[in-house]
Amino acid sequence: MTDTILVVDKLKKYFPTKRGTVKAVDNISFSVTTGETIGLVGESGSGKTTTAQCVIGIYPPTDGEILFKGQTISEAFSKRSKALKRDIRIVFQDPGSSLNPKRSIKQILSVPLKVHRVATKKDHLTKIKSLLAMVELPPDEYMYKYPQAIGGGEKQMVAIARALATDPSLVLLDEPTSALDVSVQGKIINLLMKLQQDLNLTYLFITHDLSLMRNVASRVAIMYLGKLCEIAPTVEFFQNPTHPYTKMLLSAIPVVSQEEKALKPTKIASRGEIPSPVNVPSGCSFHSRCSEKMDMCAQDDPVMVEIGEGHVTRCHLYQDTKVAASIEQEEGVHAQDPVDQPRGDG
Amino acid sequence: MSPLLDVRDLSVGFKIFEGYLSVLNGVELTLGEGERVGLVGETGCGKTTTVKSILRVLPMPPARIAGGEIFYRGKDILKMKRREVQTLRRMELTAIFQDPLMSLNPVFTVGTQLRDIVKDSLGASGKKLTKKQITARCIEALKETGMPDPERIMSNYPIQLSGGMRQRVCIAEALSTTAQLLLADEPTTNLDVTIQDQILRKLDELVEEKNTSVLMITHSLGVVMDLTQRLYIMYAGTMVEEGQTEELFASPLHPYSQGLMKSVPKLTGEGVSDGIPGRIPNYLDPPAGCRFHPRCEHTMPICQTEKPPLFNVENGRHVACFLYRS
Repeated sequence: MTDTILVVDKLKKYFPTKRGTVKAVDNISFSVTTGETIGLVGESGSGKTTTAQCVIGIYPPTDGEILFKGQTISEAFSKRSKALKRDIRIVFQDPGSSLNPKRSIKQILSVPLKVHRVATKKDHLTKIKSLLAMVELPPDEYMYKYPQAIGGGEKQMVAIARALATDPSLVLLDEPTSALDVSVQGKIINLLMKLQQDLNLTYLFITHDLSLMRNVASRVAIMYLGKLCEIAPTVEFFQNPTHPYTKMLLSAIPVVSQEEKALKPTKIASRGEIPSPVNVPSGCSFHSRCSEKMDMCAQDDPVMVEIGEGHVTRCHLYQDTKVAASIEQEEGVHAQDPVDQPRGDG
Repeated sequence: MSPLLDVRDLSVGFKIFEGYLSVLNGVELTLGEGERVGLVGETGCGKTTTVKSILRVLPMPPARIAGGEIFYRGKDILKMKRREVQTLRRMELTAIFQDPLMSLNPVFTVGTQLRDIVKDSLGASGKKLTKKQITARCIEALKETGMPDPERIMSNYPIQLSGGMRQRVCIAEALSTTAQLLLADEPTTNLDVTIQDQILRKLDELVEEKNTSVLMITHSLGVVMDLTQRLYIMYAGTMVEEGQTEELFASPLHPYSQGLMKSVPKLTGEGVSDGIPGRIPNYLDPPAGCRFHPRCEHTMPICQTEKPPLFNVENGRHVACFLYRS
């Protein structure tokens, strides 16, 4: 592994409500390597956004630790140093509401420059121009426009420029294209990918669109009810999904061609809805919708098990493979595909 | 055989303070008995306006029908009297809209709303049922949509239900009547993929069972692929292409359709295309001629002056593009 930029370790975020505690994020751990794009995928209410908000500091975590470049950053946003705020930036879902409608684009972009003292006042204008040029908007045309006068895609470009104004190393993208049309989405995604190359950025990409992740992410993490179900490198993830929830998600994606249909796992009828996070099912939280439910699933919560190179899954079906894999490794037998075995039983 | 629904050269605009928004510009659409047709386009291309014109629920003013006809079983909906349209809506047409929270009344229980609809549609056909029978029918309709515990749901208010369940209530409402034509306006856009999958499969089953014709409106191309036989692609208030769904997906002909198909991220992972440059035109001052010409890479001089009609290309496909003028 090359150097790790972000480590989320046993992160918990609970919200007390009148009806009980909402476990928005419940004991999740993952790490992000510098320069990669990790896709955090899940249904609405699965805790994707809360995770991002804990990382950026909007909510201090209830428990657990977040390490950024080796230092703990679990404190609240107001207590964070400016250098840290400069290093982690976020792009929100709806640019229509994240950009101030009463300010021109020049004013919007000058805020981070002023707050973080990125450039001296004299250089503000050139810096704003270079930022707009970076996101491929002609500066002279757009600088004095207001958000309402430009299209949704262009607004999101401005939001990206604002996030990049302070030269961050980690950017959280919270569904940056889900409010946009597909014909606009492509441009934004390609721009983000180009910027990642040029500026050596690391992305935590939150989305519910798995087809998009196939094309963008280097690793994919699936979240369900505040917990991670499966993390795997993208190619492995789509070729060899293991968790029943992942399979259900993949088979529910609407596709447009026969080649894609062939890539989907055999149809697993999706059923049920995501339960209320106040009243999480006992044991494995997915057991109420799972097609391969066993007796133990309702009692014991499975733990994360590594079943392949960088591929971890949290399901009782794979709990023994860890032992099997370790034995095989000891014997010097290269485990080609330890997944086959339990799948045959199921 | 005359089609069930036949929209001919429909033009609809809105008179607003800034001027006249010419939204629909000669929409052509036909739908046969028992057929399932998809209508795809980006935000703001006039999909919902089309549906609302068919249902005649556009507020007038500001809306204005500038021209065209909508024939339902040979009768022009636009020329009908108010009474006739109401009967049509009670008996023949039905709709599911995007946001179920907006289409359900927040101050009445699901049961009250559903009972009203069942009673009304039965009343219009001259049948009379007892209260018990009506309730039984409502519960049956909810059960058909795959709703768990329909008896309890009947006494719930819409806010007490999740998004997927609300949409199921809307489907139950729409299909509990004797309707022949279902207009589904982005029925699953607000839902998660797993819920979308469930709802669409259920809708598919029910429509099959009742032999209802469907006009499915969406901006998600994957959704129409599974559910429709024929497809219209719409851009800026005009139909740009029409054809059998599978053929159209396999080989889109219009430059706009080609761009649209290419922009969909694929599971095969070959990267994302840059999409289509520019954006949908301003309806206050739409481009003359073909409305797509400012964004088109094959633009010709004729595109700027003349609106292309739907040219007939091989095996019944129609494209509104001068590239295919034979």
